[in-house]
Amino acid sequence: MTSYGGYQRTGYGAQGGDEGGGFMSGSQQGSQGQSKRSTIDEYLRPVTIKQILDAKASYSESEIAIDGFPISTVTLVGQVRSVNPQTTNITYKIDDGTGGTIDVKKWVDLEKSESGTETPFSLDTWVRVLGRLTSFNGKIHVGAHHVRVIDDYNEVSYHLLEATYVHLCISKGLPGGPWPQKEGAAVGGGGDSDSMFIDSGNGYGGDSAATNARVASCSRQAKSLYQFMQSDPRSIEGINIADVMATSGMSKRDVLAAADELLGNGIVYTTVDDETWAILET
Amino acid sequence: METSTPRVTCPYLNSYVGKNVMVVGKVAQIRGEDAIIDADGNISCKLNRDAHLVPGNGVQVIGKVNPDLSLKVLSSLDLGTSVDYNLANTVVEISHQHKGLFAYE
Repeated sequence: MTSYGGYQRTGYGAQGGDEGGGFMSGSQQGSQGQSKRSTIDEYLRPVTIKQILDAKASYSESEIAIDGFPISTVTLVGQVRSVNPQTTNITYKIDDGTGGTIDVKKWVDLEKSESGTETPFSLDTWVRVLGRLTSFNGKIHVGAHHVRVIDDYNEVSYHLLEATYVHLCISKGLPGGPWPQKEGAAVGGGGDSDSMFIDSGNGYGGDSAATNARVASCSRQAKSLYQFMQSDPRSIEGINIADVMATSGMSKRDVLAAADELLGNGIVYTTVDDETWAILET
Repeated sequence: METSTPRVTCPYLNSYVGKNVMVVGKVAQIRGEDAIIDADGNISCKLNRDAHLVPGNGVQVIGKVNPDLSLKVLSSLDLGTSVDYNLANTVVEISHQHKGLFAYE
């Protein structure tokens, strides 16, 4: 569940500021259109090679769009089909089985190449590429920031699923429903809190918009935990995991995962022991 | 120019006769130039010369589907022992549900 956090960010941002509450980038984009370019740059999108090749059709001026979304920084996986070393760069043709190959240019780091560390990848190895889509003479290639060998084939499977997930988030909205219509969080918090507490079944309602904003980027479990702690007056000296489990009906694993996420975001802190938390007041 | 090698498992083979496909599975058996790869069902493969399959390991093969639903292997890649086959099979399912991302018809 925790790992969803990252996706949601991608989803929102890419949706160009649909959401109202948590994200600075979203609201900025709404108010000042000229910063579009830099906003795009913030998002790293996992894609398949077919998506890039198809993007050609909708390409106009300097903008490359996938699912109707301008995009520049991408991550992709593929097998090396050809290597073409030149003085300033190495051009790889990369194939992930989804439809042809794409050129990936990795610029040679002069300092490194003097010490001889830059060796091209061998044919047929799976690599992970992180780079920027560039269009030149109507042909798209990837200017690679980073290319590395994939040791574990499961990363390939993972990447393809992730690319699908992000595609679906952007074209159909996020699963579970509460986040795509994000106005709720900023306007009233009503819609958001409703959906949030179906799971915990306790109906802690009445959260303010401000509270939601603080945990807007967190998973549903983390939100539930935060909500629960807020509603409990003992939260000053901290609430023990046993109390949370007893009252909210969340499983130990869920509570720990949620607490971990809140800790990571600096929203709560541990008090008497590792399993007792209090909200960090702002 | 754009040529996909769709990801398939055994149950999908009959829709791809005569086409090139990609299979990720476990090497179940090797006998000379023939091998059996388990990808949600056994697929018999005619290997090429430079195929180095290891029994029990995961493998990715790209090959052409023969009319008898065997596979003429064009290239193969050993994937080691840590392949999550359920995950690989899920990718195949997903890639057929969302062909827009994965394959040209």
